[in-house]
Amino acid sequence: MKLFHAPLSPFVRKVRIAAMELGLNDRIELVPITSSPVAMNAELTKVNPLGKLPALVTDDGELLFDSAVIVEYLDSLAGGGKIVPAKGPERWRAKCMEALADGLCDAAILTRYEMALRPADKLWPEWVAGQKQKVTQSLDALEGQSWLFDDKFDCGRIAVACALGYLDIRFADLGWRKRCETLARWYAGVAKRPSVDATKPPPS
Amino acid sequence: MRLKLHWAPTSPYVRKVMVAAHELGLADRFDLVPTTPERVVADVGSVNPLGQIPTLVLPDGSAIFDSLVIVEYLDDLAGGTLVPRAGPERWPVLTLHALGHGVIDAANRRVNELRRPAAEISQRLLELKRAEIGRALDRLERTPLDAARVDVAAIAIAVALGYLDYRFPGEAWRHGRAALAEWYRRFSDRPSMRATIPPA
Repeated sequence: MKLFHAPLSPFVRKVRIAAMELGLNDRIELVPITSSPVAMNAELTKVNPLGKLPALVTDDGELLFDSAVIVEYLDSLAGGGKIVPAKGPERWRAKCMEALADGLCDAAILTRYEMALRPADKLWPEWVAGQKQKVTQSLDALEGQSWLFDDKFDCGRIAVACALGYLDIRFADLGWRKRCETLARWYAGVAKRPSVDATKPPPS
Repeated sequence: MRLKLHWAPTSPYVRKVMVAAHELGLADRFDLVPTTPERVVADVGSVNPLGQIPTLVLPDGSAIFDSLVIVEYLDDLAGGTLVPRAGPERWPVLTLHALGHGVIDAANRRVNELRRPAAEISQRLLELKRAEIGRALDRLERTPLDAARVDVAAIAIAVALGYLDYRFPGEAWRHGRAALAEWYRRFSDRPSMRATIPPA
């Protein structure tokens, strides 16, 4: 399988962690892509017209995106129900947790592009504040989810770990560990997992 | 079982869920809780910290989101076939859904950008998003779509095209995309689509 890949993308990292947790890592070939929302990579847009990472091409040549779809596909290859609960309340909890963590990442990424890629005169401070509020509200909600902090490592928890790792490289000044001490303790344990450690983003 | 849905009549993300609910015969189970872009964070924040609609709240108080997870939940509840459960059919449907959903996201970015004070609008961002939508629609034009087939991908694509018509009526997305236009004409005739047309 071919995975279109960028080392700093939290969504690509979800897929790589999933592959390692499922024992599928050696079946995946990484195709490095340099792209940004303001400089689309033509190789990538040929595969995914939205120009988004990750995208996976299976051994049968089938194209899959987005990250949640790829994670579920990999889970099915490993027999199903391994990191994506197959049914019942556990499934909805994991999928909602994944949507929350992905939404947190989206808000953080939008904030970053607003500040980094727009000319200063086109910044909209109220909008940036709104995105930041989404990030901090989501962090506070995670801090209050006691069930998050058990030993399981499913698609929801993987997405949370990737979101926190992304905040560390891009929004270190947010100081999320001070705000969310329980979450920080949980993340310190999770960060030792070989899959999380091996996919740590390089310093930017 | 009553289901509470945080809702707005013009949101394409909400419409996706409403079309699915109509197709599944679940629309009359909803208690709709209206909100607005200005109030949504305050209205929804306690159950969905992203402050996004749609958010579904179950009788036990737990919240289900985002729109795809809600559609899958409803499909499961009704024993429907909007999201193939497993097997080789599941992945192309979910990938095509992601493409349709991406068009909604890009169109929504344009709408939000145009709400900014005039001096702060980035023409570059508008152009990038317009190009992204164009590429996605070109891909859809080349994708064989069957108007008789109703699944979460078809719903997302139809809602995306309806949203383009609603927000950017002057733009001729149909031009050069006859197959997609004909598919949309037939699909949007479904009662589920007719019942969820956004107000003018």
